[in-house]
Amino acid sequence: MGADRFQYLILMGLCLVITLPLEFLFGARVWRRPRRLAAAMGIPLAIFVVWDVIAIAREHWEYNPKYVTGWELPFDLPVEELAFFLVIPICSLLTLEAVRRVLRRD
Amino acid sequence: MEYTWASIVAVLVVVAVELLWLRTGIFRKVTFWISYAIILFFQVLVDGWLTKLSAPIVIYNPDENSGIRIPWDIPVEDYLFGFALIVLTILLWERAGGRGDADRDAPAAGSSGRTGTAQKRRR
Repeated sequence: MGADRFQYLILMGLCLVITLPLEFLFGARVWRRPRRLAAAMGIPLAIFVVWDVIAIAREHWEYNPKYVTGWELPFDLPVEELAFFLVIPICSLLTLEAVRRVLRRD
Repeated sequence: MEYTWASIVAVLVVVAVELLWLRTGIFRKVTFWISYAIILFFQVLVDGWLTKLSAPIVIYNPDENSGIRIPWDIPVEDYLFGFALIVLTILLWERAGGRGDADRDAPAAGSSGRTGTAQKRRR
């Protein structure tokens, strides 16, 4: 199936879509603080991309060609993995800030 | 078992970064633990989909992990990997939210009763 190879990428897209109401209905204010967001995400992104590259090289895991696009960054890193390390931290921060808003406490 | 050891070390490093260096106090906050429980629930859904043995997106080398998979086919190491990624991000988010935060509550502050919350957020 043609759509199968976008499965991983679509899953990441869904994560962003599903968490978007946390920003605009719950007032999480994560997307709207881009500098703080960049400051929080930069170091983990670098560390985990390196971890992933090493893990791929040392064959800790691999990606099923059926469900990834095949678009690869240097060192055999699937573009989906870069998306993962961008999307998951954002979703997590949206959750934290939404909970903070709902509880009205630090 | 390299993935097993790497994921354990990653968690220890992140916890040490908080306790010895950043000291955001996040581990003492109810907000953090409730958030993490919610994150964990959704992690199981997403990671469960990524790792399911019937149609895996990520295929793990059995020599490099413990072989313990729960629930469904999620390798236990993934929870440590996720903790390290997410908590490190939260620690740096908290730190960036201090005095030096350029984006800090710019439009909201002072406009409503939320000012109190914004100030309390400092620590």
